[in-house]
Amino acid sequence: MISLKNILTISRYEGKVLWRNWFFRIIALAGVIFETIFHIAVFSEVDSPPWLVLSNSWIMPYASMLLISIPQAAAVIFLATGLVKKDKKLDTNEVFFVRAMSNLDYVLGKALALFKLFFLLNLVFILISLIFNLTSPYTTFNPYAFIIYPLLTSLPTIIFTTGISFLLVTIIKNQPVTIVLLLGIAGVQLIYYFDQFSNILDFTGFRLSMLSSEISGFADLEFALLQRSFYVITGIACLFLTSFLLDRLSGKRLAHIGTGIIGAGLLAFSSLIMVSLWDMRQDPIELREAMITVNDQWITEPNITILENRITMELQENRMLATSDMVVKNNSPKPLNKIYFTLNPDLAAEEVLVNGKPAQASRNLHVLSIEDGILLNPGEELSVQIRYGGSVDQAAAHLEVDQERYESAMDYFMYSLQKEYAFLQEDYVLLTKDVMWYPGSQAGYSRKYSSREPLSFTEFELKIKVPEGMTAISQGARSVENNEYHFSPEYALPQLSLAVGFYVEKKITVDNVTYSVYHYPEHDFLERNLDQLSDTLSYLITDIVNEYEDAKRLEYPFNRLQFVETPVFFTAYNKIYENHQAFLQPETVYFPEEGGDIRQFDFRRQMEDIDRQSSSRNQSLSEKQKQATILNDLVRRVFTRLIAEEYVVDGRNIDNPDYSIFPNFYTYSSGIASEDWALLNRSMANYLRNDREAQIDYSRNINGISFAEECNELMRNASMTEILTEEKFNRIQRSVSLKGDYLFSYLGQLIGESNLRSFLHDWFNSHQHQLTTYDQFREALKNRFNLDIDPVIQKVYSDTSQPAFEIIDLQKYEVLDGDRKRYQVLVEIKNTGENDGIIEVKFNAEEENEEGYFNQRINEQPETETPGRLSVIRQGEHKLLGFVLDEKPDKITFNTLISRNIPSVITMPIGPLTQRSGNNLFDGERVIAAESESDVSEVIVDNDDPEFTSFSPIKPTYLKAFLDKQKTTDQRYYGSWDRSYSKWLETTGSDYYGRVIRSAHFTRSGTGEKQASWTPYLEEGYYDIYVYMKGKNQNEYLGRDGENRQFFNHYLVQHADGTDDIRFNISGAEPGWNFLGSYYFDQNSGKVTITDECDLRTVYADAVKWVRQ
Amino acid sequence: MDIKISGLSKVYPNGHAAIKNVNLEIESGMFGLLGPNGAGKSSFMRILVTVQKATSGTITMDGLNINEHRHKIRSQIGYLPQDFTFFSKLKAWEFLDYAARLSTSLKNKERQTRVNELLEQVGLLDVRERLANKLSGGMKRRLGIAQAMIGNPKLLVIDEPTTGLDPEERIRFRNILSDLSQRDVTIILSTHIVGDISSTCHNMAMLNKGEVAFKGSPEGMIEQVRGHVWQVMLDDEEFNSIKSRYSVVSTIPAAGKWEVQVIAKDKPHQDALHANPNLEHAYVYFMENELGVSLV
Repeated sequence: MISLKNILTISRYEGKVLWRNWFFRIIALAGVIFETIFHIAVFSEVDSPPWLVLSNSWIMPYASMLLISIPQAAAVIFLATGLVKKDKKLDTNEVFFVRAMSNLDYVLGKALALFKLFFLLNLVFILISLIFNLTSPYTTFNPYAFIIYPLLTSLPTIIFTTGISFLLVTIIKNQPVTIVLLLGIAGVQLIYYFDQFSNILDFTGFRLSMLSSEISGFADLEFALLQRSFYVITGIACLFLTSFLLDRLSGKRLAHIGTGIIGAGLLAFSSLIMVSLWDMRQDPIELREAMITVNDQWITEPNITILENRITMELQENRMLATSDMVVKNNSPKPLNKIYFTLNPDLAAEEVLVNGKPAQASRNLHVLSIEDGILLNPGEELSVQIRYGGSVDQAAAHLEVDQERYESAMDYFMYSLQKEYAFLQEDYVLLTKDVMWYPGSQAGYSRKYSSREPLSFTEFELKIKVPEGMTAISQGARSVENNEYHFSPEYALPQLSLAVGFYVEKKITVDNVTYSVYHYPEHDFLERNLDQLSDTLSYLITDIVNEYEDAKRLEYPFNRLQFVETPVFFTAYNKIYENHQAFLQPETVYFPEEGGDIRQFDFRRQMEDIDRQSSSRNQSLSEKQKQATILNDLVRRVFTRLIAEEYVVDGRNIDNPDYSIFPNFYTYSSGIASEDWALLNRSMANYLRNDREAQIDYSRNINGISFAEECNELMRNASMTEILTEEKFNRIQRSVSLKGDYLFSYLGQLIGESNLRSFLHDWFNSHQHQLTTYDQFREALKNRFNLDIDPVIQKVYSDTSQPAFEIIDLQKYEVLDGDRKRYQVLVEIKNTGENDGIIEVKFNAEEENEEGYFNQRINEQPETETPGRLSVIRQGEHKLLGFVLDEKPDKITFNTLISRNIPSVITMPIGPLTQRSGNNLFDGERVIAAESESDVSEVIVDNDDPEFTSFSPIKPTYLKAFLDKQKTTDQRYYGSWDRSYSKWLETTGSDYYGRVIRSAHFTRSGTGEKQASWTPYLEEGYYDIYVYMKGKNQNEYLGRDGENRQFFNHYLVQHADGTDDIRFNISGAEPGWNFLGSYYFDQNSGKVTITDECDLRTVYADAVKWVRQ
Repeated sequence: MDIKISGLSKVYPNGHAAIKNVNLEIESGMFGLLGPNGAGKSSFMRILVTVQKATSGTITMDGLNINEHRHKIRSQIGYLPQDFTFFSKLKAWEFLDYAARLSTSLKNKERQTRVNELLEQVGLLDVRERLANKLSGGMKRRLGIAQAMIGNPKLLVIDEPTTGLDPEERIRFRNILSDLSQRDVTIILSTHIVGDISSTCHNMAMLNKGEVAFKGSPEGMIEQVRGHVWQVMLDDEEFNSIKSRYSVVSTIPAAGKWEVQVIAKDKPHQDALHANPNLEHAYVYFMENELGVSLV
C-alpha cells in the first residue's frame, strides 16, 4: 500500500518544484522579515522590552510561532490546493498516474513535500527567535521551549491545513473555490468563534493556552495536547481520504479500500477526540450548573457555624489526604436535626465522626449532609471530624461567575491563558477557600436567592507535611519540624489558604509586623532591582504603612503580611457581595509570577521613566532614591491603591486583578453580618476602602453616556433584587457600588460626614477579629447619633424614583477679606426630579501639567482634590449653596450620585472671577423661594427641544455605513469616538448645555451639506444671539502647529432682511455662551443654522439663545 | 507484448460514446492508430494506459486483464500524452530522474547513467540543466518520449506526438520512434497526421467515431485506393467544377493552370491520369467513400 521510496521520490521533486515557486519564496521571505522585525521591536534591546516578555523563558519561541500561525495556514491553503488541483491540463499528472505507485504514495509524497518546506521555514523562524533569545541579556534560555512550541503550534496547523486542503480540492475539483471556502472557514473561526468553546475550533492554536508557568508548568496540557492531536489526526485522515477519492484508478483494489477504511477510521478517532474535548469543556460548565442547583436547595437551610477547624493534611502527588477536626455550633434560633458541610466535589469524605462516633453522611456534589442522630439545640456545640481525600476540581470555584465570564479569555501579552483557580500538583499547591479544600458550612452561590450566606469567622489550625525542599505558606504563626509545617493563626479568620512550592523567603519585621516575600529561587528580580534599599527598607515600610493607615484611618490587625508569588495562570474574580478578589487572603497577597503584566513590576522601564521624569525637571536622583520611588510606586499603585489608575472604561474589564491589601484591614478582621442587608457589608467595605477613582473614564466616549448613568437608568426601572438576579455582572457591580455610595453620602449628610467616618473607624478599630451583627451596629448608631439607619437603608435600597438636579445659576467672586484673598462660589440648584436627592460639590485646584497628557508619572497622584461637600435637596426644593475657598478654584464638580442627570457628574471650569469687596461671605446652604417666572426676553432652544432639527442629505456608502457601525438597537446617545459620516448623532457631557441632561448633536465635519437648525418662536424685535459651545477646548488633535491655527464654525442666520452667512472663529471662543451677532427678526425669521463645514474633525450643535435688546 | 482488445466501449457520463465495440489485436512493433480529431483515439489510449476505465469490454496484455492487474501493467508501460506540459520548475534531467526513481529500482549511479543515456539518445544531453519550460516544443516532445522510455517499458503509448512540430523536429521524432521499434517493444502511436504512420508503422488501425474503420497494414490500406487517384491539369473553370464534385487532395498552380490530384472512383476528367496512391490518399478515400465523411 505504501512505498517509502515512491513517497520520498515524490516529496523530493515536488518539494523542488515548491521551493522554486515564487509564491513560496515570497511568503517565506516575508515571514522571515516579519519575524525579524517583530523580534527587534518586541524582544531586542533596541527599545527596552517590557519585563513581561522577558520574565518567562517560554515566551519568546511561543510568540515567534504564534505570530506566523495564521498567515502560515493561509499560505499552506494556497500551496496545498495547487499541489493536487485537478484542472484541464492534467496530462502532466497522467504521466505519473501511469507509474506503478499507489494513490497513497502520490498524496503522501506531495504532502510530505509541503511539510518539509514549511517545517524548514519554521525552523528558520525558531532560529531567529533563538538568536534573539541567546543575545538578550535579560531573559533565560529554555531549550525545551524551542522544541515544544513548533511541535504544538506549527506542526498540527500545517498537517491539518494540508489535509483539509487536499481533501476539499479533490472533492470540489476547483482550486479557487476551495481556497475561498477554506479561507472563509478560517475567517469565520477567527471572527465569529474567536475565543469561543475553549478554542476547540482554533486550528492554528493561536488562542489555545499553551504558555508554561515557571512555577507550575503547563496549565491543562492534556486539553492542549488533545486539541492539537485532533488536528494532526484529522489532517492525516484527510490525506488518506484524499488518496481514496483521488481521481486516479487505483493500482490494487484492496489497497484502495484499505486506504479508505484507514482514512475513515482516523476520522472517527479524531471525532472521538473532539467529543472528549467537548466534554472537557462541558463537564466543568455542567458541574457548576449542578452545584448551583444544589445550592438552591441548601442555601435556605439553617446550618451550624464552624467555630474551630483544625486541619491535618498530607500531599500525595496530585492528591491530598486530610482530617478536619471541627467544633460547630448552632447559632440559629431553632434546633437543627440536620447539618451540612461543603467540600470540593472531587474530595471524597472517607470517614465522618460526630462527637467521636461514626455518622452516616450523604453526599450530593459538594454538599455533605449529616442527619443521622443529629439534634442540636440553639447555642449547643458539637465536635465533628471529617477525614477526606482526593484531588481538587477547580471548576467548583467562583460559582457566581457566569459562563461568559468564566470562559472569557485571560489575555497576557499575545496569549490567551488558561484560567486556574487552584493547584494541587506534585510540585506545586495553591488552595483557596473558593475551591472548598477544607469543610465549610456555607452553601455558595444560588441563582434563586440573591441574599448571601452569613459571614462567619473560624479558629483555624493547619498541620501539613510537605515533600523535601518545599515550603508551605498559610496563615498564622508557623513552626516547622521535619518538613511538617504547623500554622496557628492568632485570630479567628473567615478563610484559610495554602501555597506549597519551592519558595525562598525574604522577610523583615517592622513595628511588630513581619513582612515577607516568597518567590521562586530564580525569580529574584525584586532583590536585583531594589538592591540598594536593604538598609532603608524598614523606614520605607513605616512610611508606607503610616500613609495607608492615615488614609484609611484603620489599623493593620495582623502580625504579618506575606507577598507570595503565584503561577501566571492563577485568576480571581470580582464578586457581588465582596469587594476583594482571591488574590487577597488573610495576611497574604498572591502576586503573579515575576510580576506578570503589572507595569510597576517592570523595574527597568520604571527606572527609565524616572530618569526621563527627573531629567525633564532638572532633578538629580541617587540610585537609592530612584529605587525607593519605584518601590513606592509599586506599592501605592498596586497594593495600597493610593494612586488611582490613569483611565478606565467603566463597565468593562470588570475582572481586572485587584491586589489591594484593604481586605486585611476590614473584610478579614471585621464585618457586619446582616441577613436582611447582605449588601451592607460590601458597601461598608467600599466606603472604608475609599479608593480614588480613575482620572478619566472613557465609557461616555464610547457609549454616549457614562456607565454610571446607564446603571442609574437601570435602577429607575428595576428593583435591586431584579438587578442582582437578572443583570450582567458589570451592571450589578456598578449599581451596588452606586447604591453604597449613595447610602453613605446620605448617612454622612444626616449625621455629618466626619462624624460618620470617625464613628466607623472607631468602631472597626475596636472590633477587630470579630463580626458585628447588624443589630449591634444599628443600636450603636442609634445611641451615638439618635438615628435609626434601618429606614435609611430601606429607602436607599428600595427606592427606584430618582432626583434630577438643575444648576440654575453659578456665581463666582474673588473677595478681599481683610488682606486675605478668598474666593466665593454661589450655586443655585433645584431638584426637579421625583425623589429627594444628594449632591456633592467639589472644587479642584488649578493643576499644572507640563509633562504632557500621556506621560505616566511615577509615584505621583497628579490631581489634587479637595474633599467634597454634601447637600440634601428635597424634591422640588431650590437651594443656594455657598462655598468660601482659600485657594483659587479651577473647576467645580457636581456629583449627583444616583439621579436622572446626564452626566451624573458635571465638571465645569470656573472661568474668570468677578472681583468683589466686602465681607458678606456665605458658606453653607439655604432654601430659597421658588424662582421668578422665566425671563420672557430670553429664548433658548437646546438640541433636545422640538425646535431643533437636523438634516443630512448624505446617503452612507457601504463603507461609511460600516464605519458608522450603526447599532440596531434604538440607541439614543452615541460616544464621541463614534463620529458619524452621514448623520447628526446625540451625545452627552458636562461641556454641553442642558437642564438635567446636557447633550449636543455632533457629526463628522464635511462640506456643508449636513445642517442643524434652531427655529425659535420670537416676538418681532432686535435680538442678540448666543451659541453654546465647548469653546476652543475641543479636545482634538489639531495637527502640526495646531495651537496657532484658526478654526471656524459656519452659521447661517435668517433675519428679517434675509440670511447672513457667518464664519465664527471658535479658536477664541469660551466654553458656554458665545455672542454670535445682533439682528432684527420678524415673526417669520430667527432661525439659526450650523453646517458641518469646519477644519476641525467634529462639528457640535448644542443650544442657541436669543436675548431681546 | 501481445495486446488483445475485445468489445471495448467507452460512454462518458454526458452520454457521448467515444469508443464503440472495438476489437483489436496488437503485437510487438509499431502500431499506428489513425483517425480524425474526435475519433476516440485519446480515449482509447487513456484506457490502454489505465488512466481511465472502459465502460465495457476487456483488454489483456500478455494475458493479464488490465483492470485486475493495473499495478503490474503500469510497471510495464510508458505513456506520452497529447499536449504534454511539464512541471515548469524542474530541469530536464530532474524530470527524467523523477520518472526514473518511480519506475525503476536502479541504484543512484546506474540511474544517473540511464538518465544521461536517454538524454543522449533523444539529443537533450546538452540541455540537461535547462528548466523544462525553457525547452522548445520539439525538445519537450523528446523529453516526453524519454520519460516514457525510462522504465524500459514493454508497451509505449504515444498520443499525437508530432502535432505542432516543425518538419525537422517531426523527422527527428520519427527517427527516434523507428529506432525504438527495433527493440522488443510494442509502440502504439496515435495520430491524425498520416505521414507519421506511413513512415513508421507496419500495422495500423483507423478509428472513426469510436469504431474501427480499418485494420491491417498501411500497404493494405493503400491498395484499396489504387486506381482511384487521378492527376490532371485544369483551368479555373474546370477546377471549380471538379472541386465541387470530387475530393481534391492536392492543388499546385502551374502556368495559369492547376495541377490537381483528385480521388474518384471513375475518371473525373478526360485528361485525368492515374497517379501513384499513398496513405494520405487512402485515408481521404476511406473517409469519403467508405465512411461518407467529407474531408475536403
